[in-house]
Amino acid sequence: MTDTAKGPAGGRSKPPPNHGAPMMRRTARWLDRRLGAADFARTALNKVFPDHWSFMIGELALYCFIVLVVTGTYLAFFFQASTRQVVYHGVYKPLQGVHMSAAYKSAIDISFKVRAGLVMRQIHHWAALLFLASIVVHLARVFFTGAFRRPREINWMVGVTLLILAIFNGFAGYSLLDDQLSGTGLRIGYGIALSVPVIGTWIASLFFGGEFPGADIIGRLYVIHILIIPVLIGLLVATHLAILVRHKHTQFRGPGRKENNVVGERLWPTYAAKALGLLFLTASLLCLLGGLFQINPIWVFGPFNPAQVSAASQPDWYMGWLDGALRIMPGWETRLFGFELPNPFFPGALLGGATFALLYAWPFLEARVTRDHDEHHLLDRPRQRPVRTALGVATLSFYSVCFLGAASDVVASTFHVSVNRVLITLRLGVFLVPIIAAWATYRLCRELSDRDGLPVQSGVTFGQIGHRLRRSEADDEAGAEADTG
Amino acid sequence: MASGMRHRAATVLLPVALSLGAAAAVMAWLSTTASASSAGRDTATGPSAPADQISTGRALFVTGCSSCHAVDGRGVTTDDGSVRGPSIIHTGEAGAYYQLSTGRMPLTDSSKQAERKPPAFDKTSIDALVAYVASLGTGPKLPHVRVADANLADGGEIFRANCAPCHSAAGSGGALSYGAAAPSLSQATALEVGAAVRSGPGQMPVFGPSSLSAGQVNDVSDYVQYLRAPDDRGGIPIGRTGPVPEGFVAWTLGMGALLAAVGWIGTRSPARESIEPGAGNEQ
Amino acid sequence: MSNEQARAESRATVFFAISAVASIGLAITYWQGGQPQLEGVLLAVITGGIGFAIVSWAKHAMPHDLVTEERDTVASTDDEVEAFSADLERGVEGIGRRRALLVAAGSAITAFGAALLFPIRSLGPRPGAGLKSTPYAGRHKRVVTADGKPVTPSDLATDGVVTVWPEGHTDAADSPTLLIRTRKSQKFKARKGREDWRVGDIVAYSKLCTHVGCPVGLYQAQKGLLLCPCHQSTFNVLDGARPVFGPAARSLPQLPLGLNDDGEIIARGDFSGPVGPGFWDRDRH
Repeated sequence: MTDTAKGPAGGRSKPPPNHGAPMMRRTARWLDRRLGAADFARTALNKVFPDHWSFMIGELALYCFIVLVVTGTYLAFFFQASTRQVVYHGVYKPLQGVHMSAAYKSAIDISFKVRAGLVMRQIHHWAALLFLASIVVHLARVFFTGAFRRPREINWMVGVTLLILAIFNGFAGYSLLDDQLSGTGLRIGYGIALSVPVIGTWIASLFFGGEFPGADIIGRLYVIHILIIPVLIGLLVATHLAILVRHKHTQFRGPGRKENNVVGERLWPTYAAKALGLLFLTASLLCLLGGLFQINPIWVFGPFNPAQVSAASQPDWYMGWLDGALRIMPGWETRLFGFELPNPFFPGALLGGATFALLYAWPFLEARVTRDHDEHHLLDRPRQRPVRTALGVATLSFYSVCFLGAASDVVASTFHVSVNRVLITLRLGVFLVPIIAAWATYRLCRELSDRDGLPVQSGVTFGQIGHRLRRSEADDEAGAEADTG
Repeated sequence: MASGMRHRAATVLLPVALSLGAAAAVMAWLSTTASASSAGRDTATGPSAPADQISTGRALFVTGCSSCHAVDGRGVTTDDGSVRGPSIIHTGEAGAYYQLSTGRMPLTDSSKQAERKPPAFDKTSIDALVAYVASLGTGPKLPHVRVADANLADGGEIFRANCAPCHSAAGSGGALSYGAAAPSLSQATALEVGAAVRSGPGQMPVFGPSSLSAGQVNDVSDYVQYLRAPDDRGGIPIGRTGPVPEGFVAWTLGMGALLAAVGWIGTRSPARESIEPGAGNEQ
Repeated sequence: MSNEQARAESRATVFFAISAVASIGLAITYWQGGQPQLEGVLLAVITGGIGFAIVSWAKHAMPHDLVTEERDTVASTDDEVEAFSADLERGVEGIGRRRALLVAAGSAITAFGAALLFPIRSLGPRPGAGLKSTPYAGRHKRVVTADGKPVTPSDLATDGVVTVWPEGHTDAADSPTLLIRTRKSQKFKARKGREDWRVGDIVAYSKLCTHVGCPVGLYQAQKGLLLCPCHQSTFNVLDGARPVFGPAARSLPQLPLGLNDDGEIIARGDFSGPVGPGFWDRDRH
């Protein structure tokens, strides 16, 4: 057996005849001598990916994350996460001589003094908004095509965790600046923590280091925002992609496509080139937004003062559903065992918890109801799953109504209507709109799949859901045997 | 079969039509707002204006204002008890100047909150009317607002502490209860700001000389002038109302562009492709 | 090379060139002092040029053969799983029967985990009386504005509102208080036991909303309503700041006012209840 490094000390074997790209070959050989990865790399290069456009939405989220890390690293060199009080003496005249925290001052300096600081700040914030929008659209795509079914339940849960981490990191990020708008948001967060039964005051005190606002929260959010969550997101994204590669990507039905194959393009060169190109295009859009559209003008909002507030105080869009639920909830409060259950607990911690619990549990709930525990690598068209699609649309419309609630005062003043009537309408809407949306979606799916002659999968009706959640297939069979036996 | 299809079409269209009808009814309900009216105040009196200015003002008042406010300014109540025009004897110089200069008065439709419109009177007439209204009773004087030596930063702090809760930090206005609204300040002159602060028109509270000194009124008026053209170095300000328009831009322009890019790059539908036999199939 | 490929490659070349020129432009912009819009647009052209070049090239000049790859079931065969389980259980056969060992090991790990959580306790103080009292408690204090100036009744016009704090505590985040002078024509209904809590027409309420704690900054003078901009909770100033709309369920706590010998407004004690958002044991002592 010969090995590659033969002959006198350090001698090389003869190079192969040159054709193709000599530089690439030399590099590949150099790396292989040190990593021995030629075979593995070859398998990787030839991996097949179906390249339907809707499969690229998850990538958008990844590319937004890359832009976030790059711009965020730049910003971290200039930002000071300190609540030490300073006096501003800088370029922006309307804040001359104003007392503010060092954190706010450093953000003002980034916006006015550091060259390219403002555009980096704005690209970073727009990237955060689009990071979350991409995750949500990607989640919807995975949901409506049934890509979360076995064997992908773990990856689904990894994805839901990524959504939670992204929401929290966005909130932490814009709260770092200690401006009036984000400080109001922190106050609301503190109040929601307080509302948790039994341990609420402890959660609030431990997180903030005492009563609101305290001097610790900015520093703590900084550690969470630039270290803890980005590392977790990085690890989970790597896990998400690794599982995806292990399973191979799902695909839509079509000619030649079966459960036991993948039809598409090879990773190298075309798929990789498209992915790289999309990275640059995403970065391009984020730079365009960051340069042309002003976002979060903290110099107008002013430094945070716990006794002050501005009209039109909203969180960033991805927290709108939570803030809207708080507004829509009527002023009911109740007691438990003689203790107070404050009003914000229900639309706050409880709704939030229930939302994510349901998201995590969905693949298992659906498997139990449809009694389908097989592996699936072929995707559903949404119209072939009228019940799932209808429930998904109903859920999206519920959160959309809550989301509209967060904008209630802006809607009222923009359209010259009473904010009270807007909220009363939304109180009704939060129940009626999902029901109507579910009904209309169900009918539409049945219509479309009938028209296209597509079979409806699984054949579970709304009426059977309750029974099937309570009793598994085994229970039913045991019951049938008991009857006939 | 055809009637079955029509039946199915109807069961899709029916909930859609019902929803649209319900939405239209809701929109109509939302658009009717609670009534709003101005009111009087009681604060310090000021020195009287020249007598001929007052009589000019009186003449204008009789023709243009007395049908709702009565000639003596004590207001008009109709037989069924509803108020056609409130008493304005305590409006003072400041209140009268504010209402007339911003065109809110004369008001044609008293069922809605008065909004800024082109003033119905020229400057001389407004001065005369202001003099007459001030002579009717006691009311806040019109402050002498001088922004030339005002402190912009102090003005910003006063604005954020007292004005931003209703008018928003950027002065773009905000919603109040039951259909009322704090207006946008984008067209407010320095004197109008001073007049409003001292007289508290509509739902607005009153900031008297002991709450905000004359210097502080200068400062906050200066800041409001700044807010008419603030530093928008970040680009297109999209309304300066914070995360709501920002989220809108992110979803429409942002996601729209990204999905367009993705649509350009990726394939459309596998059903439309065909696979040629033996085209590079792997083992 | 086909026509399509040739066109694609020349398009890509042009895009790359545009991108390179934009990079020079960005460098010049930065050197000249920077300008946010130019920086953003130039960055967009730089990255967009590269992106369009690569995608254009990929779409039109790269191979597009549809390829099929086999996909095994994800789950391994029963034999493979059996072999793995056998290897995994090597050295720990019969562990299920060694109850005492398992219980001890589990206890050790659980206890270790619990012990590691203890440093979390250092993150903040025990939530205490601070949530249920403000610096107004105790002896009578003057109320002062943010500048530290005391307030006399004549300082506040009818329809006027001013934010005050207990003297010496203008930085206390739980103490901002609204002093409001209502109109004589507005009928004020005092709560039971609070008939002497006003000074003339001046009433004082906590500024912190009882929903989630935002400052209730909007005073609608004509209607006597306080509106919180965060979630639109609305309180009736003329009826002990009772909530009349929105998610707040409890009235704003009221402050008992009085006058000192110099005619300045003082607080004669703490608020009628804990200020701000509700919590589990808010009305327990």
